Amino acid sequence: MENILELQRVSKTFPKSNFTLENVTFSLPYGAILGFVGENGAGKTTTIGCILNTITKDSGTIKLFGKEMLDADTDIREKIGVVYDGDNFPAYWTATQLSKIMAGLYTQWDSPLFQKYLEDFHLPAKQKMKHYSRGMAMKLAIAVALAHHPQLLILDEATGGLDPVMRDEMLDVFLEFVQEENHSILLSSHITSDLEKVADYITFIHNGRLIMTVSKNITMLLCAARRANSLR
Amino acid sequence: MKGLLKNNLYATLSNAKVFSGVMILFGIFVVAVISQSLQIGYVMIGIIGFSVNAIAITKNDYISKWGKYKLTLPVKRIDIVKSLFLNQMIWLLVGTFFVGIEISLSWLFHGCPFDQAIDVLTMFALGVSMGLFMGAVFFPLFYIGGEEKSEVLLVISLLCAFGIDFAIVSVVNDLLEPGIASIMCGTLILIICSLLAFALSYLLTAKIFKKKEY
Repeated sequence: MENILELQRVSKTFPKSNFTLENVTFSLPYGAILGFVGENGAGKTTTIGCILNTITKDSGTIKLFGKEMLDADTDIREKIGVVYDGDNFPAYWTATQLSKIMAGLYTQWDSPLFQKYLEDFHLPAKQKMKHYSRGMAMKLAIAVALAHHPQLLILDEATGGLDPVMRDEMLDVFLEFVQEENHSILLSSHITSDLEKVADYITFIHNGRLIMTVSKNITMLLCAARRANSLR
Repeated sequence: MKGLLKNNLYATLSNAKVFSGVMILFGIFVVAVISQSLQIGYVMIGIIGFSVNAIAITKNDYISKWGKYKLTLPVKRIDIVKSLFLNQMIWLLVGTFFVGIEISLSWLFHGCPFDQAIDVLTMFALGVSMGLFMGAVFFPLFYIGGEEKSEVLLVISLLCAFGIDFAIVSVVNDLLEPGIASIMCGTLILIICSLLAFALSYLLTAKIFKKKEY
């Protein structure tokens, strides 16, 4: 099976905080959703930072679309949509301004599609983002991440600020996104029920170390077995 | 690159609008009153003020996650730095053009308030070089010191720009005989030095930013 994302023994140490990401290895196949689970400070955001080059890894290899991504590889970043937890964009912008900026950054920026997402997600285009609720800001970030036709979505706690109804809607959007076989999602989340609904694989990280990567069906079997044991 | 410039433009524009309003009111007063020192003050405040507006936006990227998000966009890190320096140049030109209109109006109504017309050129050169030196000092310091120190770094860079400019002017005045030729030469040295510092600062900032982690 071909992978859209591959991490091999990725390590990163932060001497000041004494945190180490140690030999993280996992891969994300094309057409799949990988849930990335771990407690606060486990190393999820650091791993995503290494993948996206916002943090420089100490060792290991990370391949995106079969290639290590360097700063000059803007063509690879064209194919990636990113959503971070919290405010992704400056508060003084409107969604319309954001669209104009993104049109100047992504060659495949699709303004009509972005407008459609704004309507679907009930986001006012002319309102400044400082007046958006946390949920609205997250929905806007998801709309931006989707509106340039990416192949890979990297979502760092992207569903955290959404209410359960909106979260389900977003999960449907993600499921629709991976209907195309060359699309994949790396979804870091605390909300395991979300991952249960959409993830094909789940990777557990704890204290900077990867515990395991398993198919969701196996995880559910393990949980069921544990529950059955506790009932005995 | 176009998107990055637009991003900086939107960020600077809202503050620049307020600043322009104040400068227009101040400008009306400066045109109405015949005063050489008021005109010098107006030119300096105008050119440096627009530059400060352009520089101050650098911090805004890091109030939200936009600074980190930008690194995930299909742009090179050097282009992010380039866009900041270009934005600074654009607003320096806007400031120069803005105060240029006022000085022209004043000249039109009251004639040249200076002893020699070349003094006006020197005044503009001093403002522009101060704006350039300020940017040259601020940007590398910002990426070394971090966004939480941006206000103090802005003040430091402004003071440094004043210091460097007056040091250059003093040296030039000491070395050259008084006269129009020496004023021209001094003005040229001021502009060349500040442009050189701005270019070197761009390279240094790009080098620092290449290693920054977010």
